[in-house]
Amino acid sequence: MNTLKKITKIREINSLFFLIALFAIVGMVNPAFLAPTTLFNCFNDSVVFTLLATGIAFVILTGEIDVSIGATLGLSAAISSSLLRDGASWFVAIAAGLLAGVVVGLINGFGVSTLGIPSLIFTLGTNGVVRGMIYVYTGGAWVENLPASFTKLSQVKLFGNLTIFYLVVLLGVIAAHIALTHTRRGRYFIAVGDNAAGATLVGIPAKRTKILAYVLCGVLASVAGIIYSSRIGFITPTAGNGYEMKAIAACVLGGISLSGGLGSLLGASIGAVIMSSVSRILVFLGFSSDYDNTITGILLITIVVIDALTQNRAATKSRHERLAARTGPAHAKKGGAAK
Amino acid sequence: MKHSPLERFKKGVKSWETVLLGLLLAEFVIFGIANPKFLMPRVLLGSVNDIISICIISLFVTFVMITGGIDIQAGSIVGLSSIVIGVTWQDFGLNIWVAAILAMVVAALCGALSGFFVAYCGVQPMVVTLGGSFLYTGIALLVSNISATASYKGISGFPEDFTQIAKFKLFGVIPSQLLIFAALTVIAYFLLHKSKFGRKVFLVGVNPRAAEYSGINSRFVTLLTYVLSGVSASIAGIVLTAYLGTAKSDIGVTFTLPIITAVVLGGTLSTGGKGSVIGTALAALVIGVLRFGLPLSFKVSNQYLDIPVGLLLLIVVVGRSIAANPTLLRKLGIGKAKRQKNKA
Repeated sequence: MNTLKKITKIREINSLFFLIALFAIVGMVNPAFLAPTTLFNCFNDSVVFTLLATGIAFVILTGEIDVSIGATLGLSAAISSSLLRDGASWFVAIAAGLLAGVVVGLINGFGVSTLGIPSLIFTLGTNGVVRGMIYVYTGGAWVENLPASFTKLSQVKLFGNLTIFYLVVLLGVIAAHIALTHTRRGRYFIAVGDNAAGATLVGIPAKRTKILAYVLCGVLASVAGIIYSSRIGFITPTAGNGYEMKAIAACVLGGISLSGGLGSLLGASIGAVIMSSVSRILVFLGFSSDYDNTITGILLITIVVIDALTQNRAATKSRHERLAARTGPAHAKKGGAAK
Repeated sequence: MKHSPLERFKKGVKSWETVLLGLLLAEFVIFGIANPKFLMPRVLLGSVNDIISICIISLFVTFVMITGGIDIQAGSIVGLSSIVIGVTWQDFGLNIWVAAILAMVVAALCGALSGFFVAYCGVQPMVVTLGGSFLYTGIALLVSNISATASYKGISGFPEDFTQIAKFKLFGVIPSQLLIFAALTVIAYFLLHKSKFGRKVFLVGVNPRAAEYSGINSRFVTLLTYVLSGVSASIAGIVLTAYLGTAKSDIGVTFTLPIITAVVLGGTLSTGGKGSVIGTALAALVIGVLRFGLPLSFKVSNQYLDIPVGLLLLIVVVGRSIAANPTLLRKLGIGKAKRQKNKA
């Protein structure tokens, strides 16, 4: 019983239970959903959002936000795929795409961490600039005719039906999760998000940690962009528009608190699977996929409201306990009676 | 010597509205010189349609941000209002004005729902309104499916009276949208800066707990700000529907970021407690004129307009952050000097 209680306190496990329950219920209504191909596809299709959500999770864990990742995805996708189309080597194309993510991440980190500008506002500004850069770079045209060897990469599958992209990304997320929870430097992120001033006092380089979070977020958005171009096969100037909101939603579904310091990368990747499975689930339940946004909105609001209410109750309870401890048992009894 | 321009800048920032007004005038002068056509009343006033929604909504999102919240769902409420008008008028046969009022009620309820979760359940405003933006966009699409008309086509053929909202011109030049915006600015100004409710909004933003202890129902005040921004979004939806002559569920989805940009540029602190209606109104106009003037006077393609607007936002927030904290500049300066020394 006690172990069970402990386990349900781990937020990403809750999300995992939710994911399994969701899939089980859909499977009960329509057993075809539980066919391996369909299930694997739920994971395969979440690969771009998994990357985005994991990236932004670094930033959210430190207590900030980044709404420029959709544009970063688009820019990296445009740069890498146009280089590939023009016959550049894979190494150059991918490196150039990743470089774009590093630069955007550094700028965001500098503005938010060094200059101390509220992160939503600063990344809103970079979002506009980066989105505009895509138009400047592509001249507003689509990037098409990518080499077949590149687009075919997204079709390579292992273990039956799992794409190699998802497998690599999943392994990367697990590795990053372990690094974040089990290494000193990794735990800096959560410490900074939990209490930035406190973290600085105990000697954690809070500002540098935040910059690093933004750079990681930018790079992962770039990787997402490159995988996106391999999967889709063409890049429009609006590629990735609005993905930042979906990535944030995925993090919230995965049990990450937007106030920072609470949650994990695995949670973010589970949230991304839930997020990107909604439209497929709707189809298997016999609804039109027009319900997609409505269901996502209801899911998101329900989960955060339940989460907030339980947290508020826990906070009130612990405050009462503290008060009781401070005033001594006799007073506590009185206080309890008055309540 | 080195400090004096900085100090002068600081003084200027103290009345941020003056800076914005200067910026607006500078835009008029520069765009007017580059292309005299820009200053023709017909051209200039005709441009108002493209920016009016953002102007109207940002006035009231200012209220939300002063309480320390944020509202990223307003854009989706614009589309919802539009499609509610269309469907209730065309498919349910309601009078067009009743339909418009119904749309405002729906928008108020949407605002109240999100406001309730923020104020009474203690959920972060960003998350609630993010969920709200998905939810209300989704509901708008579902409402549009009720209609006999395919949702991508939009519902059109509204009566003359209704489309007159956006076509009327005072003295033959001043478009009605500008009049609506001016009226709403005055209303918002008195509500925020001259009324009891406005004082409460500021107090809640400065310190919600202190506001609560001093007898202000801070939760209800917070909820009301979301209702206000919802209603303003529906007004924008009505005006936009009248102007376009079509009701669609997805108009307004791109408004979110420009609205927040306008509010922040207007001098509202995203942490709450500070902001002004006049600042927001001026900032919205600065952005609007920039988006209109650059293509007309400098042949900048419409697609690139995100860059100047984004840069404007970045420059302003960086400038204000440095002005508010001059040691930052010195620190950066010293940092640079050190690095140079190391190199040498």
